[in-house]
Amino acid sequence: MRLARPVGLLLLLILLLIPELLAANGASSVETGWFRTYRINAVIVAAVFSAAVLYYTQRARRGDKLFVRKIAGLDEVEDAVGRATEMGRPVLFIPGIDEIDKIDTLAGLSILGRVALITARYETPLYVPVRYPMVLAAAQEVVQQSYITEGRADSYNQDMVCYVAGEQFAYTATVNGYMMRERPAANIMMGAFYAESLLLAETGNAAGSIQIAGTAQPEQLPFFIAACDYTLMGEELFAASAYLSHEPLMLGGLKGQDFMKVLIIAAILVGTFMVTTHLGGDWMRSLFEVR
Amino acid sequence: MGFWQRVSQLDRRWIYLAVALAVIFPLLVPMKMKLGITPEARQLYEAIEALPDSSVVMLTFDYYPSTVAETRPMSIAALHQMFRKNLKVITMTTIPLGGPSIADRTMREMAELYHKTYGVDYVNLGFKANYTAVLLGMGSSIESIYPSDQYGTPLAKLPLMQTVKNYDQISFIFIVADNGIVDNWISIVNAQFSKPMGAGVTAVMAPKFYSYVQAKQMTGLLGGMKGAAEYEMLVNKPAMALIGMDSQSMAHLLIIGFVIAGNVAYFMTRKKKESNG
Amino acid sequence: MKTKLPIAIAFLSGLAMVAVFILNPEKVGDMEGELLQWTTVIGGFTLLLGVVSIVRVNWRPVVRRETGWLNNAALILSVAVMAIPSVLPVSWSPLFGTDGGSIYDWFFINLSAPMMATMFAMLAFYVASAAFRAFRARNAEATLLLVTATIVMLWRVPVGEGLFVAINPRLPNLINTYVMGGVNVAVQRGIIIGAALGAAATSLRIMLGIERTYMGKT
Repeated sequence: MRLARPVGLLLLLILLLIPELLAANGASSVETGWFRTYRINAVIVAAVFSAAVLYYTQRARRGDKLFVRKIAGLDEVEDAVGRATEMGRPVLFIPGIDEIDKIDTLAGLSILGRVALITARYETPLYVPVRYPMVLAAAQEVVQQSYITEGRADSYNQDMVCYVAGEQFAYTATVNGYMMRERPAANIMMGAFYAESLLLAETGNAAGSIQIAGTAQPEQLPFFIAACDYTLMGEELFAASAYLSHEPLMLGGLKGQDFMKVLIIAAILVGTFMVTTHLGGDWMRSLFEVR
Repeated sequence: MGFWQRVSQLDRRWIYLAVALAVIFPLLVPMKMKLGITPEARQLYEAIEALPDSSVVMLTFDYYPSTVAETRPMSIAALHQMFRKNLKVITMTTIPLGGPSIADRTMREMAELYHKTYGVDYVNLGFKANYTAVLLGMGSSIESIYPSDQYGTPLAKLPLMQTVKNYDQISFIFIVADNGIVDNWISIVNAQFSKPMGAGVTAVMAPKFYSYVQAKQMTGLLGGMKGAAEYEMLVNKPAMALIGMDSQSMAHLLIIGFVIAGNVAYFMTRKKKESNG
Repeated sequence: MKTKLPIAIAFLSGLAMVAVFILNPEKVGDMEGELLQWTTVIGGFTLLLGVVSIVRVNWRPVVRRETGWLNNAALILSVAVMAIPSVLPVSWSPLFGTDGGSIYDWFFINLSAPMMATMFAMLAFYVASAAFRAFRARNAEATLLLVTATIVMLWRVPVGEGLFVAINPRLPNLINTYVMGGVNVAVQRGIIIGAALGAAATSLRIMLGIERTYMGKT
């Protein structure tokens, strides 16, 4: 029971908190106790969500079959790397352009780990330009471990992952230059992207690369959809690592997410009904207000 | 190769040239077309207009030099309204690269125009790293986050800052930004301190923030150069954004033209392929 | 131990941030600020890694006189010109540091800023080229997208707005209300809710050590 201890700790914390929070009577944001009781709703939602993820993860551990729909972009990753191997050209991986504390970047690094396993297996050159030194350290570790796992430690070169520039457009110019000079067979862009998304994707398209992108930034999705062959949208980015790993333990988390989504949809429908019919709309609204 | 096939395979450099001409030409020969005002821009204008004389407002310069064409006209138009209404303005930035110098130059120019005194009518707090801590910390004490202003003067020595301790004394926050910091302003400052706020953002970001306006977490919204031009019209100070709208008109028309041409070429070549078997 | 220790640290750090969210700062002090300060300090140390990486990658082509080595040399020189004077104390000379009038500031205002603006402006060219190439009415959904995009593009500029007003004066407001404030908001919220849940689930997987790929464990 690898999960037992951390799960126990988390549940213990929630159990300790809930009585304290429930004891609070006012909704005032001026607190004198140890807890910000006005955040009880957020704590309860977080607890339900955590419980759902943990429940489905445990079910997956027990061997329950979990259905996950096909994500075409991810199925294409291995083929894209294979194509690069045949053509003798490199694979370019961009783990977004944000800092390591952004969850999108961590999702990107997780996918990088899976991609590096494939490039190590086929001995395909891999290039990972990064924008922040902290991401550099993490990405180097991820790629190195993947090469070691595949038994190709000798093929790993530290400069596969390199820091290019801290400024957004200087970074973009460097990567675009690389795309036009080296013409990578596949560009995989997974993480947080901003105004540079179309600059990168259009240049990659002009260079004739197969492009697979994924971002949770809604405003950048149209650009990736227009210029890339496959695009992962929103939560697909966070599901990618679990999907590529085929590990039941990881897939269990996705099921927990779906459960929470059903609850949110139900809350939206009930809330809309109550507000529209004036049946306690204000009460419903205050229930979900987070301060 | 047939005509439509040639069109569908048009070298992208011709497209680049056409875009360049469409942008440059209207700047040389302005068309001065009429512009409508969106309710979101009007709401923002009216919220500031409704503030009593000498109220304190915060204006942020959360943008990089790369987007000044869209964002700086918003800051300038907002300052026209704020200084004309005799509001006290506190500015700050969460952008280390260029943010402080843009704020400094813009504030100096506008203060000179309206004969405003530094320290009394406006204060420039400058940049401080770690925006989450900055936004949260100013809720309890601005001085704890910014012991001194952009120019190294201790806040205690600035008359305006003697009356402003935290968000409680600030009536409205006007965010001008080109990045995700707006989410933090809403989730931290609006949600936790109930501070009314409005934002001016780049055109590509604007669709995302309509939901915040609808949820009344933001009082108003300016989107891109169009939003800036609307605000220039509202404050009756037509300037760079309004001039830029002609170029934007031409560029949009050109892109629509390209989309139509691309589709016609696509269907003509497909038809030809089908008829050839 | 090599596997368990990083996972334990990740779990405790995550838990600390959750605790900070619900604990009263009046009682526990500014724990959040303190923890965020730690991140900044760690970030400062890794900055050196970045400098080493950029110099190493670009030094080799210069030494070996590889094709385009002059570009690599220019890059190393630029790093030195921007970085060295900016870290020297202002008390030595007003040219040092990053304040107005310093070497760093001069290069930033006169070189870096216009280059950044140029790169951003290039988006206009790329948008036109991508729209021409990829915006096709291949099926019903794509046609709907194309028509909506055309309406919004026209609505955003005076020439199109004028056209809509000529058809019906209420048309621009209807587009604002139903397309931007209706369909757009619904889609944005859907994506944001999904992405937020995905991010929360990923955080949970990381905290519990189920997801370890980001730290090099497969």
